Amino acid sequence: MDRNLIRNFSIIAHIDHGKSTLADRLLQATKAVSDRESKAQLLDSMDLERERGITIKASAVTVMHMHNGQNYMLNFIDTPGHVDFGYEVSRALKACEGALLVVDASQGVEAQTVVNAYLAVEQDLEMIPVLNKIDLPGARPDEIAMEVEQVLGLPAEDCISVSAKTGVGIPELLDAICEILPPPSPPKSDKTRVLIFDAIYDDYRGVMLYCRVFDGRLKVGDKIRMMGMERTFLVTEIGKNTPKPVKVKEVGPGETCYVVAAIKTLGDVRIGDTITLDNNPADELLAGYEPAKQMVFCDFYPATTADKKGGDIEEMREAIEKLAINDASFTYQAVHSEALGFGFRCGFLGLLHMDIIQERLEREFNLELVQTAPTVSYEIVVRGKGGELTEREVHNPADLPDMGSVVEIREPICKVEIMLAKEYIGDVMKLCLDRRGVYKSQVYVSDTREMFNFEIPLAELIYDFYDKLKGLTSGYGTMDYEVVRYQADQLVKVDILINGEPVEALSLITHREKSEARGRVLLQRLRKQIDRHQFEIPLQAAIGGKIIARETIKAYRKDVTAKCYGGDVTRKRKLLEKQKKGKDRMKSIGSVNIPQEAFMSVLDVGEG
Amino acid sequence: MPDNTVSIPIRQRPTQFAGQPLADCAPKTINSLYLHIPFCAHKCHYCDFYSLVDRQDRQEAFLNRLIEELRAVAPLAGPLDTVFVGGGTPTLLATHLWGRLGAALHQFFDICDETTEFTVECNPETASESLFHSLRHAGVNRLSVGMQSFNRTHLKTLEREHNPENVPRTFEQARCVGIANISGDLIFAIPGQTLDDWDQDLDQAMSLGLNHLSAYNLTYEPATAMTARLETGQFTPCPEELEIEMFNHAAARLANDNFERYEVSNYAQPGHACRHNLAYWRQHDWLACGPSASGHAAGHRWKNIGRLDTYLNNTQNGFAPITDHEEPDPARAVRESIMTGLRLAEGLDKSLVLLQSENALTGSAARLESEIRQANEEGLLTDTQSRLVLTERGILFADGLAGRLMTCVL
Repeated sequence: MDRNLIRNFSIIAHIDHGKSTLADRLLQATKAVSDRESKAQLLDSMDLERERGITIKASAVTVMHMHNGQNYMLNFIDTPGHVDFGYEVSRALKACEGALLVVDASQGVEAQTVVNAYLAVEQDLEMIPVLNKIDLPGARPDEIAMEVEQVLGLPAEDCISVSAKTGVGIPELLDAICEILPPPSPPKSDKTRVLIFDAIYDDYRGVMLYCRVFDGRLKVGDKIRMMGMERTFLVTEIGKNTPKPVKVKEVGPGETCYVVAAIKTLGDVRIGDTITLDNNPADELLAGYEPAKQMVFCDFYPATTADKKGGDIEEMREAIEKLAINDASFTYQAVHSEALGFGFRCGFLGLLHMDIIQERLEREFNLELVQTAPTVSYEIVVRGKGGELTEREVHNPADLPDMGSVVEIREPICKVEIMLAKEYIGDVMKLCLDRRGVYKSQVYVSDTREMFNFEIPLAELIYDFYDKLKGLTSGYGTMDYEVVRYQADQLVKVDILINGEPVEALSLITHREKSEARGRVLLQRLRKQIDRHQFEIPLQAAIGGKIIARETIKAYRKDVTAKCYGGDVTRKRKLLEKQKKGKDRMKSIGSVNIPQEAFMSVLDVGEG
Repeated sequence: MPDNTVSIPIRQRPTQFAGQPLADCAPKTINSLYLHIPFCAHKCHYCDFYSLVDRQDRQEAFLNRLIEELRAVAPLAGPLDTVFVGGGTPTLLATHLWGRLGAALHQFFDICDETTEFTVECNPETASESLFHSLRHAGVNRLSVGMQSFNRTHLKTLEREHNPENVPRTFEQARCVGIANISGDLIFAIPGQTLDDWDQDLDQAMSLGLNHLSAYNLTYEPATAMTARLETGQFTPCPEELEIEMFNHAAARLANDNFERYEVSNYAQPGHACRHNLAYWRQHDWLACGPSASGHAAGHRWKNIGRLDTYLNNTQNGFAPITDHEEPDPARAVRESIMTGLRLAEGLDKSLVLLQSENALTGSAARLESEIRQANEEGLLTDTQSRLVLTERGILFADGLAGRLMTCVL
């Protein structure tokens, strides 16, 4: 294939701005799929993706397109839309030379569009701004083109107006793809270097790698070497999704393809790795691979059910391992919680990522999960016995060392972009300031809309910030964020004591000013979840031994059924036995039985 | 004694009948019989027993079916030590039907006025001389009168429709026909009730010359009107502290009249404890007839299906359609005897329970012993004279403690 006739590109868009519909329309226009075959959103293969209107896994589709008498090879590399998947986006974008930046012609530029466009700019991609949905009655292509120029710096006149729904503008867009987007750069050497930008597990063929060839060639029968992992495999199949899979014998520079190489588990593959040939290896890996940074953490435990004593941790381990290989950007480690038993502490790129992993575990693996509330990753500075300072990462308050030795706690700070209509500015400002936000700047978007820039600690964002924002803006405000640095603040560890006993699983890290309110909310929730006992139970929140909030669970004085006759025996017996089963799921701390639900309610997201 | 409602899927053809559990029983071995009469004039708001607001038109059909069932179970009955007719409101059954019921009972069973305790539950509002005559004629020698309270306001709160002034007359009429053995039911902890009110209820009850009294702490059973009213905030429930005061006051007040608390909610003068109920609590076997009646025999537990039309229209050699059948299970039997036995003043035979428990479930006796020791240390349980007996304080926590001990055999 002539490298100059190859175009590798991604489509970047805000949720619901029509990315997948546009992709499908392009496939249709190139006759890659017949109208009959065209079901909505071919590229999104998971139910979850379709439901949420987002793409979780990048995938690549190759189509041929005649333009000016020449047959172009167009490789669509679909990217996850959300910045949580910045890592996946970056891998997919690395395989591209260009990007279509899709904006809804009635909604305008959203926060997410901005953040994703920045990513594309960082990768030096050529961008084509596309105004979609111009068929809608509310479409304002001219105004939105001005927004694109104002906010993203792409000339308004470069915008291509299309309707993915009706097909208007699609031929022009295909022309622009061929003419404006650059071909792949020439290979730097003839030693093969192929980027793995995605990998999936196929039940029949094992692991399928999604690849982009930079240098050299790759053929069926080649013995390949993963340069990072230092493993070798034999290529048994190379192919392209057109979108139907079509086998090819070999691929050359600039092309994308899938590769099957008798790789049994996804654990043998590292996404972002470079493939070379075993008998003629390249000298160095392709640049730009960065390991994903997990910012949000939570624990998953197998849910215990009444009839199943303790969930199946092995089943869960299998599922998580499988998923982790499918999604290289989340981490996991086995943990044991005194409250919830054995489970896994998982790290995610962000909140959405966490939700998606949880849903996939439940749906694809049929697991029943108990999920704890998310925490962020803190950097702490600890003074050792000899006075030396060491730094380490903590993402579970229970892992904090003795607070006497902690010199400093630093938390992740996010740069937050918020796009909203002007009438909501006051309320949203207040929300941001409430969440320890620092105002940075404000950008004029149009006569009715503004974009704000705040710096807000991630720990504050993960507490229902997005829900609050949606509530304040009648659902129209959009936000996106990225972590920019770690910063020290007045962060304290709040201990929770039940009947005088500290319960590590319930401790939390919070800002000193918010500690009392957070502690109180937590105690109130706890009080509702713990049954009365034969004795009074004090619930306390404390910072370093100083009590900052207190609640009390009154003792019950009486626990005896009035009537227990012949017909009551079975029902009553079951009731008492059920209590016992309930107790199996409880944790006894300071002779207080604490149900799992109590931990969950406390660990639940939100400030109540 | 009444049985609880069971909910069954409507119109589903029953597949199980009482003949199945009873097939394991040797003939002439069961000495107690419970009959359920499912008719009521009005459904009281605290009641969760199976009853139908009076359907005079169904009484005859019901009685025919009941007699058929009695005939079927009778071969398993030895000389009857106790018969208990509960409801519903058994005294709502027409006088002539009581005549037929009495005749049938005597035809099929060995009932003797001297040795059989034959109790009928009675709503004072339904009492009449002619009714009592037919009851007595049928062999009834003990009455359990649903008094609940003598205070009209509190009766109104319970939506219990009887005139408290009729209660003494009921006693007179019963005694007139020769039913001397009379028990009464009272309810305490009614919303708005004071300790004084409760004391007056106890006084009034005692003035009637009872020899047995059941005093029930009002319980908010699920799916009753009372519970619905509580949940919608239509009244403030009695504070727990006051409930306990009332509970303790009953014991103290009744002791003055030589009543002993022999079960959590039951008091009797010496020799007048209800033998039928003791049969339940001591895990004896009994036969059960009528819709929603629960039986226990040869380790089986079951319950007749509660819907009257299902009961009327389904029979298997006379046996009633049943539900909730539990096969014999020695460990379950031990748990059940712990649950009901602990509620009795006589308590449980410690070594017997330990033996049965170990036989049913290896290793359980040691667990049980350790739990008993702990309960003892907590002051909830004593084991003097080799019997496990709840302390005063232990009675208040009987459920939790029973649960703990039962857990050892689970």
